[in-house]
Amino acid sequence: MRIFLQIRPILAALRSHKAAVLLLVLEIALTMAVLGNLVFVVYGTMQRSHTPSGVTESQIGLIQSIGVVGEDNPGTVAGNLAVMRSAPGVEDAAYGFLPLWHADRSPLFLDASRQHPAVHAYEFMGSQGLNRTLGLHVVRGHDFTDTEIPDVMDVFMGRLSAPVPVLLTESLAGRLYPNGNALGSILYDGTKSLRVIGIVNHLRGEITGSASDDDSLVYEFRVGAQNMGGGYLVRSQPGRLPEALRAAAAALQKANPGHVESKVLTMAELRENYFKSDLASGRMLVAIMLILLVVTALGVSGLASFWVQQRRRQIGMRRALGATRRDILHYFQAENFLIVTGGVALGALFAYALNLFLMKRFELAHLPSHYLLVGAVALWVLGQLAVLGPALRAAAVPPVVATRSV
Amino acid sequence: MFGYYLDLAWRSLKRHKVLAALMTLAIALGIGASVTMLAVLHNLSGNPLPGRSDVLFHPQVDPRPVDLPGAKDEPPDDLTYIDALNLYRLGIAPRRAVMSRNWLPVRKDAPDSPLAMFTDRATTADFFAMFGVPFLYGSAWSAQDDASHAQVVVLSRAMNQKLFGGEDSVGKTLVIATKTFCVIGVIDDWNPQPRFYDLNDGAFGKAEQMYLPFFTWLDLPQDYGYGPMDCWGSNPEAGGHDPKAKQCTWAQFWVELDTPAQVADYRAALVQYSAQQQQLGRFQRAPNVRLRGLLDWLDAKHVVPVTVRMQTWIAFGVLLICLVNTVGLMVAKFLRKSGEIGVRRALGASRRAIFAQCLVEAGVVGVAGGLLGLPMAWLGLWMVRQQPVSFAASAHFDPSMLGIALGLAVLSALLAGVWPALRASRVAPALQVKSL
Repeated sequence: MRIFLQIRPILAALRSHKAAVLLLVLEIALTMAVLGNLVFVVYGTMQRSHTPSGVTESQIGLIQSIGVVGEDNPGTVAGNLAVMRSAPGVEDAAYGFLPLWHADRSPLFLDASRQHPAVHAYEFMGSQGLNRTLGLHVVRGHDFTDTEIPDVMDVFMGRLSAPVPVLLTESLAGRLYPNGNALGSILYDGTKSLRVIGIVNHLRGEITGSASDDDSLVYEFRVGAQNMGGGYLVRSQPGRLPEALRAAAAALQKANPGHVESKVLTMAELRENYFKSDLASGRMLVAIMLILLVVTALGVSGLASFWVQQRRRQIGMRRALGATRRDILHYFQAENFLIVTGGVALGALFAYALNLFLMKRFELAHLPSHYLLVGAVALWVLGQLAVLGPALRAAAVPPVVATRSV
Repeated sequence: MFGYYLDLAWRSLKRHKVLAALMTLAIALGIGASVTMLAVLHNLSGNPLPGRSDVLFHPQVDPRPVDLPGAKDEPPDDLTYIDALNLYRLGIAPRRAVMSRNWLPVRKDAPDSPLAMFTDRATTADFFAMFGVPFLYGSAWSAQDDASHAQVVVLSRAMNQKLFGGEDSVGKTLVIATKTFCVIGVIDDWNPQPRFYDLNDGAFGKAEQMYLPFFTWLDLPQDYGYGPMDCWGSNPEAGGHDPKAKQCTWAQFWVELDTPAQVADYRAALVQYSAQQQQLGRFQRAPNVRLRGLLDWLDAKHVVPVTVRMQTWIAFGVLLICLVNTVGLMVAKFLRKSGEIGVRRALGASRRAIFAQCLVEAGVVGVAGGLLGLPMAWLGLWMVRQQPVSFAASAHFDPSMLGIALGLAVLSALLAGVWPALRASRVAPALQVKSL
């Protein structure tokens, strides 16, 4: 409790160093403002890079197979999928789209006049079995049955007679039908009418951090004897993805000697490519944060050692009058704590101001208050570490100093 | 006097080595961070073709319908096939090139050679001379080759390395999309950053692996796409397999105009062309043309990535914090010399002289900080180059940044020194001399 008794003399002593104390408070406040926002940005990026896409990523691979016009191309889509399924380690295969790979939003309309788009959503389409291959969870309604899905040529040539059955994500269903009557409803995209037959829990086209990432719909079409290039998806048995993908790619190439397999990637590799530049910029920000912490620590310990030098005589007197080494140590530690606390309080204001600026200029989200708490704790710890050296030197000042003239 | 102050500053810094080192390090770290980001920004917004950028222009016309929801006033970046062809035939610019990005299946002209996809730029003969592309072997094709749809190809150095092991491959043949092409030239490494001539796939990235005559390329099967295509109207399949579709823009077009008179003539010709197309009923809008020079074009397209702009702001925030820190340390430093200052004042030095002396000391710290900051900035740029982002490769240390780094360091140190020096010059001599 003796430490609390010291607060008044500390404040009194600080009053005679107003300029230096103010500068230190200002520096800590600025550090806090920048640090809080940087931690927020970096943590947001890291969190985003772990957001699940809604498909069974650990078991899914992609083979982008491009047909060369004029080369020998005996394979058909149905045949291709069959040879891929019979490759060792492969559980299922489909032709179609998958998350984080050229996903694009298209407008959806609630009425056939298509005047005002109700929402823009990711459209995933593919061969029969696409949703099984992706591992989507139908939570309401029912899954596709092979008899109700249209033929691929009817879809592409615009010869559809009935609405195409689709699955919506819960997020998209909620946005289009806030009353919860999505099942059985009819909606429209640019060319087709669509009938909602079921709801899946999640399927993200991209992961930008926005809630609308999860606004997706899926439909399947029947493929057969067509010769089609594009995305061939593999679902492996658990834990066997690399070998299964390799085997499927080899089987697919053998069946289609006139195809070029321009990309053979696991979903994990796709994800890594997708977040490459975000994570790189995150690493730059971490480097900047480290520089900031080092500079602040330099400032704190520089001023503290100056003060210790300046007060050698006073410290000697206090020691001669009965203060223990521990008292002197605590004095400097408490002083530092008070200064940092002042800086943190001012820094919280600065942090919000900087956040407002970044929100306006770079569309950053609103800074939640617990980041400030993390920043405050970090600065308290940093301050205590920085002051420890000078404070120990102060505690080592012998009482005899008091008797000498400086 | 200055020499004397320098000497005093040197002695004073030597006496308080720790404080001096802390101040230098703080400035060096701030300079290192801000100069790194400044260099990245400078490279990214730099001139991709120094010496030629003044004569290169990017014409745009507006073929869009009047009632296009959400359309801005700016005409599309690229041209439709018809406009590209018409402007190409206009022939009043000394040089012009129409082009598009694409990818095509390629294999060596030998049995059982493997197929692979390569990126290509389909363009016309003037491309190479206009943009100053350096040749390693052979040469560009001629306007005659363009007209006769010649099956010739110019390879990049990297592709020549991959397919022919880097030898002079002029005269060798390749099978591109099942047609036989003859290699007519190989260019040296050439990848101006930002890639001003086609910003559709991002301004920073790899150049294409090969170059084909535009009209020859149009004869190939159109199943491999035409680079990003922008279409309007009710038919969503527009252009799917037909680059000649009326409502799709996808072709880049550049002209070389050597004199202001040529620029004015060309602009007038664009307006006249648009008016004529409007009369014919092809264009619905009144003439809406642009003819921007290369650098104006890059400005208009805002090519610098937003993350880089944000990091630059943050780096200057770090410099500011370092300065506040330095101000604090300098106050401590100068106050410590109060006794010495008191003696100088008592011996007749004016306040102005004390102020100057302290500022010189701050300047010395600045120079030291700048010198230490340079290797830090160099290290920072090395770190940036290790990042797997498209613009990273172009981050290098420009000699002009040397001067900027040192200047910035001295300026910041002087700014940080002003207030502590003022305080020091107000030290009352009597009080200090008494306590000695």
